[in-house]
Amino acid sequence: MLCQNCKKNEATTHIKRVLNGEATESHLCSNCAQSLGVGNFFDDFSLNMPDIFSGFFGDSVFALENGRLDRCEKCGCQFDDIIKTGCVGCADCYEKFYSKLLPSIQRIHGKANHAGKVPKHTKEKVKPKEKTTEEKIADLQKDMQKAIDEQNFEQAAIIRDEIKKMKGEN
Amino acid sequence: MTWYKNKGNEGDIVLSTRVRLARNLEDYPFPIRLSTQEKMNISLLVRDSLEDYDSKKLSFIDMSTLSPAKAVSLAEKHLISPEFAYEGAGRALLLSEDEDVSIMLCEEDHIRIQVILPGLNPEEAFNEADKIDSIIENKLNYAFNERIGYLTQCPTNLGTGMRASVMLHLPALSKKGAMRRLSTTVAKLGLTLRGSYGEGSEISGDIYQLSNQVTLGISEKAALQNLTSIALQIVSQEKQARAAVIKDEDFVDKIYRSWGILRSAYKLTSNELTNLISYVRMGASEGIIDIPTEKLTEMFIENQPATINVAEGKTLSQSERDILRAEKVRKELN
Repeated sequence: MLCQNCKKNEATTHIKRVLNGEATESHLCSNCAQSLGVGNFFDDFSLNMPDIFSGFFGDSVFALENGRLDRCEKCGCQFDDIIKTGCVGCADCYEKFYSKLLPSIQRIHGKANHAGKVPKHTKEKVKPKEKTTEEKIADLQKDMQKAIDEQNFEQAAIIRDEIKKMKGEN
Repeated sequence: MTWYKNKGNEGDIVLSTRVRLARNLEDYPFPIRLSTQEKMNISLLVRDSLEDYDSKKLSFIDMSTLSPAKAVSLAEKHLISPEFAYEGAGRALLLSEDEDVSIMLCEEDHIRIQVILPGLNPEEAFNEADKIDSIIENKLNYAFNERIGYLTQCPTNLGTGMRASVMLHLPALSKKGAMRRLSTTVAKLGLTLRGSYGEGSEISGDIYQLSNQVTLGISEKAALQNLTSIALQIVSQEKQARAAVIKDEDFVDKIYRSWGILRSAYKLTSNELTNLISYVRMGASEGIIDIPTEKLTEMFIENQPATINVAEGKTLSQSERDILRAEKVRKELN
């Protein structure tokens, strides 16, 4: 199909718009699409990002690997689907295809690690478990012994009182 | 504070600041792999998780129930993405009355929290978005990886999932032909400068959008600081350029002529209005024309095609719209 605007080049961009309740469709070549500014009606939300991203994958050597038939167990997505759509299927896909996705991620963002906010439930998972009173007392007893060995009896006495207090609370 | 009706910091040049956070729920596939029903279920889950959010009253809008004109009008006001306006099935919007907060549900990601405020105000916009984010994360588990951050359907948003942008009115820099150089410079600093209504050579109304590009490996705070400092530099360059440009008689003539056309035209297309407003808005900020700049911004937003149709409650032909637009503008300015 030829571009509806210049009627010279092959149309490669298909645009469907609903404006004022009327659906209009147009087929444009990439030059006309760009000069008319369509496809980027409000460009700040990066409408075309998936296309660009799938371009990133397209030339990736991984696309040719045998492993392409691997499926994500959670959503059923194959790496091929990600290449075609530029969209990842679910959170688990990022783990399943991590090594394949990484080169493209690094091309976009550089070799960086996340440096921003961490959701609360993740923080809780990562946080070491609270020690039990017994464990805390055992730790203190070790500290006390160390203080005695170093003949630091004043410090040892303080720790002894602390242990007593903890045992009393129990 | 509806962004297009109020004037904020550096309001002569900075129309608005917007912060958007992309989030997904751990237990569900991303929207591309969801049915309409599943999308709606997630939309309802998120709505319910925000019961405790009391700073603003949010209304829940099922996008499939909106008329196309209403949906496009929301996009014209920059409250939702155009893509979200075109396809409503399973999608929903949480919108605050003052239009500061809009949360798109099951757009490209399960959750897109957006806060848009007048003028240059990244800190407040981020704080509100962050507050909403923290309320949701109390109830629902986000998809997250310690190394690559918040997991998003499109890997370009990995990391903080935050896109912050400012809308800038840059008529003088545009006239000086400085935009190409400027956009190359900001690209080197991890930001993008684009037209707010399309990337064509002709930028409508000299309005540009400056936003952060990289989301992984940089904290929200650092990204916002970066954006603010570059925005302020552009603002100061625009101010200098304006001071120079208003010494140009031909340019001043353009400002007065634009003012004249706005106050007397019988028909105005959306594009013509935008371009005329650009001149008058600059004239107003330089004290040549006596009208508050925020009034011009409001006029520009409310006279876009779908927004006019919504206001009239019916679908007008383009010609009818152009006549009505000119009439509304004349009334407003005379």
